[in-house]
Amino acid sequence: MGSKVRLNTDWLSDCGGCHIAIVDIHERILELLGAIELQRCPVLTDIKGYPDADLGLVSGAIRTEHDRHSAEAMRKSCKRIIAFGTCAVYGGVPGAGSVHTREQILDYAYGHNPTTEGHTLPADGVDSLEKLVTPIDEVIEVDLYLPGCPPHPAFIFDALLAVIEGRPPKAKDETVCARCHRRMERTEVSHVLANHDGIANRTQCFLSQGYVCLGSVTLDRCMAPCPNNGVVCTGCAGPTMQVLTEPNRDIRTEVGDRMAALTKIPRKEVIESIERAAKTHYAYAMATEMIGKKPTFLIEKWVAAIEEEGQP
Amino acid sequence: MEGMVDIQIHEAACRGCRMCLDICPTDVFAFDEGRGMATVQAAEDCIACLSCAYLCPSNAISHHQFHAVKNFYRDISFCRRMERFL
Repeated sequence: MGSKVRLNTDWLSDCGGCHIAIVDIHERILELLGAIELQRCPVLTDIKGYPDADLGLVSGAIRTEHDRHSAEAMRKSCKRIIAFGTCAVYGGVPGAGSVHTREQILDYAYGHNPTTEGHTLPADGVDSLEKLVTPIDEVIEVDLYLPGCPPHPAFIFDALLAVIEGRPPKAKDETVCARCHRRMERTEVSHVLANHDGIANRTQCFLSQGYVCLGSVTLDRCMAPCPNNGVVCTGCAGPTMQVLTEPNRDIRTEVGDRMAALTKIPRKEVIESIERAAKTHYAYAMATEMIGKKPTFLIEKWVAAIEEEGQP
Repeated sequence: MEGMVDIQIHEAACRGCRMCLDICPTDVFAFDEGRGMATVQAAEDCIACLSCAYLCPSNAISHHQFHAVKNFYRDISFCRRMERFL
């Protein structure tokens, strides 16, 4: 037992899907358990504290004071920390909360929620929200990143095995398109379509048909279930390395380039269409400074606007 | 061949969009109509501009054995983070 890698996991502000994805490794988890000693793991064990561990998986973003405390406790107890899942790596869906004030969020969730009665804000036993949502690497030192919403169990399995064996993981920096079975064909389509316009062809690439799909700008940590089943990619595993690393490359310009190459739609029209669409193209990654510092991204302006509204 | 850029296309990832054929300034690629995917036809002509790698929707094209130009705008802490992705 002494030679096994001791593993802690913890769960901050996220939906819990990343931890369920660990469970979704199914029987193959037995292969891992030969090399791993599972300690704290909110979905599989009942260990409340933070025992000393070799490896720590932290899923979720920092949204509350408790999240910050948990992240710091994980860092202290684990030799190596893996930011696990899109929320931990980029801020994820909770990160989109950064474009609203805390008062707006609490008011919508409790004060004027149309589906509840009472409209009282929770006061006891609940941690207050932090001013902004931050990915965990802005609070603690992170050794490795595994994005995905959630990462497909195959990627989790291989990543853990790679860390244990000290080898590079099999995962590449290919995009969702690399796993999508749709054919990218040149078409005469001349206008961008909304997702609800008509019924998409099942075998042809969404971009060829005029639907804005973020598959080509999204890292594949999912095996492309959405586009293969008729739903456009919304970019849940976060942007590709080239969008992250190249200041002048952006989700909207990259999709624009490719869609303009496949169809008769001008690149400018694609870009304008994406910019009009509620800025959701960065919904999963807007909280990270990797995106926030991009000159093509306007989150700093939005956050400045929030601060002008008045914060304590 | 020594001194030549080695270009690999991950066949399972190629979606057959032909964007690499269009963007390549030196016509390195050909299209295999039967299999519906791009192939490397003239690797010796590659100037390693990497335009194809950047445009490929799948990120299926990789280059080896070329002199990487280091971009001055990349900061070290950021690049370190990039190296840690699993």
